[in-house]
Amino acid sequence: MTAAFELRGLTAAVPGEKGAVRLVEDVSLSVRAGETLAVVGESGSGKTVTFTSALGLLPKPGRVIAGQALLEGEDLLALPPEQLRRRRGARIGMVFQDPLTGLNPVFTVGEQIAEVLRAHLPISRREARDRAAALLGRVQIPDAARRVDDYPHQFSGGMRQRVLIAMAIALGPRVLIADEPTTALDVTVQAQVLDLLGDLRASEGMGMVLITHDLGVVARQADRVAVMYAGRVVETGTVEEVFRAPRHPYTISLFRSIPEIDAPAGTMLAPIAGSPPDPARRPPGCAFAPRCFAVSDAHGCRSVRPDLIGAGHFAACHRQGAIEVAA
Amino acid sequence: MLFHVARCVGQLAVALVGIVTVAFFLMRAIPGDPALYMLGDFATVEALATLRARLGLDLPVWQQYFVFLFRAVQGDLGTSVVTGQPALTEIWAAVPPSAALAVSGMLVAVVIGVPLGVVAAVRQGSAVDVAVMLVALGGISFPVFWVGLVAILTFSHALGLFPALGASSDAGFWTALHHMVLPAMVLGLSVSAYIARLTRSAMLEVLGVDHIRVARAMGVPERRIVWKLAFRNALIPVLAVIGVTFAWSLGNAILVEAVFSRPGLGSTILKAILARDYQLVQAGVLVLAAAVVLLNTALDLLYGAIDPRLRRS
Repeated sequence: MTAAFELRGLTAAVPGEKGAVRLVEDVSLSVRAGETLAVVGESGSGKTVTFTSALGLLPKPGRVIAGQALLEGEDLLALPPEQLRRRRGARIGMVFQDPLTGLNPVFTVGEQIAEVLRAHLPISRREARDRAAALLGRVQIPDAARRVDDYPHQFSGGMRQRVLIAMAIALGPRVLIADEPTTALDVTVQAQVLDLLGDLRASEGMGMVLITHDLGVVARQADRVAVMYAGRVVETGTVEEVFRAPRHPYTISLFRSIPEIDAPAGTMLAPIAGSPPDPARRPPGCAFAPRCFAVSDAHGCRSVRPDLIGAGHFAACHRQGAIEVAA
Repeated sequence: MLFHVARCVGQLAVALVGIVTVAFFLMRAIPGDPALYMLGDFATVEALATLRARLGLDLPVWQQYFVFLFRAVQGDLGTSVVTGQPALTEIWAAVPPSAALAVSGMLVAVVIGVPLGVVAAVRQGSAVDVAVMLVALGGISFPVFWVGLVAILTFSHALGLFPALGASSDAGFWTALHHMVLPAMVLGLSVSAYIARLTRSAMLEVLGVDHIRVARAMGVPERRIVWKLAFRNALIPVLAVIGVTFAWSLGNAILVEAVFSRPGLGSTILKAILARDYQLVQAGVLVLAAAVVLLNTALDLLYGAIDPRLRRS
């Protein structure tokens, strides 16, 4: 079965003082229909850049310098701009992080959903509005028929995210990319929105990419997971494989840094020392080497860039297999 | 909404009283005596005193002010000491040509300035952007009377396309329009420069926000994003600058009227100031101020129509 959405060797860069600075490098990922792929990593690891690049939405002067973004086998990055526009929103949808700023304050939510519908379908204003109301109902907004004429400021954060989800699924896309869809929401609302996304994925048979830094969300929602660090995928596999036996020291450290509810009182969290490298000054070997607990010069950690190695479950680490995992 | 309207009307009243007060005391502060102006240098002291008493000029200034204010709220702005006509009637007669000029000028400014600003924002850094901003800089830097003279030299004198002088009031519509083109362009171009610059920066700001990114991700065509989704957000600062430049453009209209020898408020008020015709000046200032304040009140109401968040009281 071919992937609904697949990235192959995607590399995006911005011009820097000493040549191109690679924001993301050689990213390969895939998501099948009906499956959820979680992409995790700390802020600045390139999660968002990866997918905005794949949709041709990377702000200037950034640009994709290598790779493909295959939507059901068709490379989006090779399409002329108008053809790419027709895919965006129609066959691949995206939900962003901040629902408070994601809606246009001077148009009703119905008008905004209708705008998306009419960007892709030859339908009348009236029909678009009726469909918008139906979509609001599908994302479980109470009293949708009336609320379709309300403005964004009349909705709560969670409700606004539902509106944005309604917009993203308006044309029945095959793939939905959700970029930290719950980060800006109240904890109580987060679960509702994630459940809604999960239900829609199942009922529509969409492939879903869930960008997050919340490993709890990954465990509950995702089938497979890709861990990103400094613009690269450093580990990928099924959620079960990666959670049960993480191979990359970065992934291992991530698990160690999570508080556990049944840990004895007084147990200290284990944060990862240091901070991720500046994209313009990444070390020559493994980008994680300066912060790694298993770094070893003998294995070339500081001089040779590790490749993603494995079968089904991949990791980019010179020392994988040699690390004691106590996760 | 009702509260919004009430607040606007309240602000209007306060602004008008304030402006009229300033105008009243400014006129009194200028050296000169209307009685002396009317009767001439050889008038007797008694004659001057009698006329001053009749005009109410023998009272202390603060008493004159309250008398003026008391009559003004009843709609009586006094009579022109020069013509003997009611001051308001005199001023009203001068309003139509000036209003026509100011409105045409603003139309030119908006029709040129807004689209140029949008295009400059969308093609930021391009040749179009640089050209628009250069023209805008010119429009802001060159005084309107100089631009008027250059326009007359070029389009009337050298090319013979448009007349250099204002039309007589009984000319037909097309003749009047033909005479209006050059002054309206001169008046509008300088204002359009301001509007273009502000539209550009407002659009640049809006085009960078999240909901525009969302619209792009949803495949909304760029044309719709710019001219509909972003433009309506940029409209409020643009309307605000239209309100501000309208006052500025009324001032410029007086200069343009002088350059093109057009009748209107400009020449009427100028003559009244020279003659120390207090009543006429006050009436003129009141009408100009009312025009500016009314336009801004209308814009305030329009903001509420554009941005739903401003409708809440």
